[in-house]
Amino acid sequence: MATPATEIALQEFRVRAAHTGMTLTEDDIVLLHKGYVGLMRFMERFPKDSAPEAESAHVFKLFGEVAP
Amino acid sequence: MSDLATLTIAKASALLARGELKAIDITEACLARIEKFDARLNAFVTLTADQARAAARQADREIARGHRRGALHGIPIGIKDIYETAGVRTAGNSHLLVDHVPNSDAETVVRLRAAGAVILGKLATHEFATGAITPDQPFPPARNPWNPELQPGGSSSGSGTAVAAGFCAGAMGSDTSGSIRNPAGWCAVSGLKPTYGLLSRRGIFSLAPSFDTAGPMAWTAEDCALMLDVLAGHDPLDPASARREPVAYAQTVHKPVTGLRIGLIRHWYAHADGATADIVRGVDEAVMVLRELGCILEEIIMPDLVDYQACARIIIGAEAHAIHRRALNEHPEKFGYTTRRRLQLGAFLTAEQYVAATRFRRKLQIDTDTAMRGFDLVMTANQYGPPDNFENPPVFHFLDKPPLPNPFNVTGQPALTVCCGFDADGYPLAFQLAGRPFDDATVLTAGAAYERATPWREKRPSL
Repeated sequence: MATPATEIALQEFRVRAAHTGMTLTEDDIVLLHKGYVGLMRFMERFPKDSAPEAESAHVFKLFGEVAP
Repeated sequence: MSDLATLTIAKASALLARGELKAIDITEACLARIEKFDARLNAFVTLTADQARAAARQADREIARGHRRGALHGIPIGIKDIYETAGVRTAGNSHLLVDHVPNSDAETVVRLRAAGAVILGKLATHEFATGAITPDQPFPPARNPWNPELQPGGSSSGSGTAVAAGFCAGAMGSDTSGSIRNPAGWCAVSGLKPTYGLLSRRGIFSLAPSFDTAGPMAWTAEDCALMLDVLAGHDPLDPASARREPVAYAQTVHKPVTGLRIGLIRHWYAHADGATADIVRGVDEAVMVLRELGCILEEIIMPDLVDYQACARIIIGAEAHAIHRRALNEHPEKFGYTTRRRLQLGAFLTAEQYVAATRFRRKLQIDTDTAMRGFDLVMTANQYGPPDNFENPPVFHFLDKPPLPNPFNVTGQPALTVCCGFDADGYPLAFQLAGRPFDDATVLTAGAAYERATPWREKRPSL
């Protein structure tokens, strides 16, 4: 099975981890990488193109509600 | 079990109003049960017995003088330990906050006290409401009163346990990704995740601000409605708080449900990898009961359950990391093993990914609304099967089976957990009813009608 484009290699993930400011062990990084790959697989379900009506993130807009 | 400790809020309130019951008596009954059984169940992390007795006696004096404040006056309530309480430790089951004593109450606690509720103490929660139980957290985990070898569900674990065990008549929970409805379902109590923005979250530890929802848990839907009457309302200091006309929720729960149109979302749980046969049967039988009550039920198709799960995990991951980033960097050792890793994962999400998830959320809201056209409510299973044991959960449990409560966190709709019987081993079965945004009243009305028509509210766990 082809590797999805969104999956990054553990080595690249390790580099990113170094820039987070977090103190992480190698075990942490391996575990977090697995979690990250899982999240990226989720993201493959997201539409590639968002329609204009999908722009708002604000819950109240759908409800016809305006926050004060 | 003492009769006083298992009175519903509605029943106790009516007796209090007529002078046939004293608040101090129901409070003492609850305290006695906690004293006798909570060493096994760990529902309370902090018990404020003296303050509760003082509040109960004050309630009795006021009611005797004709100054009854309403349905919650003199009613014992427990508070999840992520709600700030003035002068009482609020730790969120975190070593970071184990000595944290707030100066003020959360807005919802202010409302409960103003209504005369008797606050019994603080209830167990998963660490920062993240859903992880590990032995390295400050307090022992709450246990399921139907079988203490099993979890009650979380993160409002102590709230579910306490209500089911008869330790309090009602409890406050919070629901970012099912944290009211999981323990409600597995403890056989009623739990409402209100519409996002209906209740103030001010003074409650945040997990993911665009999902966080405070809500009531009680033995019945009617009791949740009585609590919601007190809890709902605009708070100018909570940026997500909505301005809505007040609704008399408890008055509406006695309305007939004839003609209510309910869409059954069966494809989320009735499949080979889905719910147990007992759950499927329980929901099917609940459908028949609702039809007998005059509701019109039709099966409908919603977006794939995994889509809601995917959307929720990106947003919650990013927001939860933003909330806890500084503490994660400066004091990682203060977090539980699983909690720390779940929160750290959000550090790897980019702004682009977060924005993509919020766009997807909007699409799912629209698609859900479209699928609900012509229906007042939707109905689906609350859980896949019996409660979990206490073996270490996978660190990233949210990558597994898509949680059934998730969709209504993504959409912000109100969703109620309703017990619909027990499986072959005696564990609770439950379904969810979800309504249109801010139509919490119809959700509660249908749930209450179902409960009145079935015998499940007569059965309590044997401790």
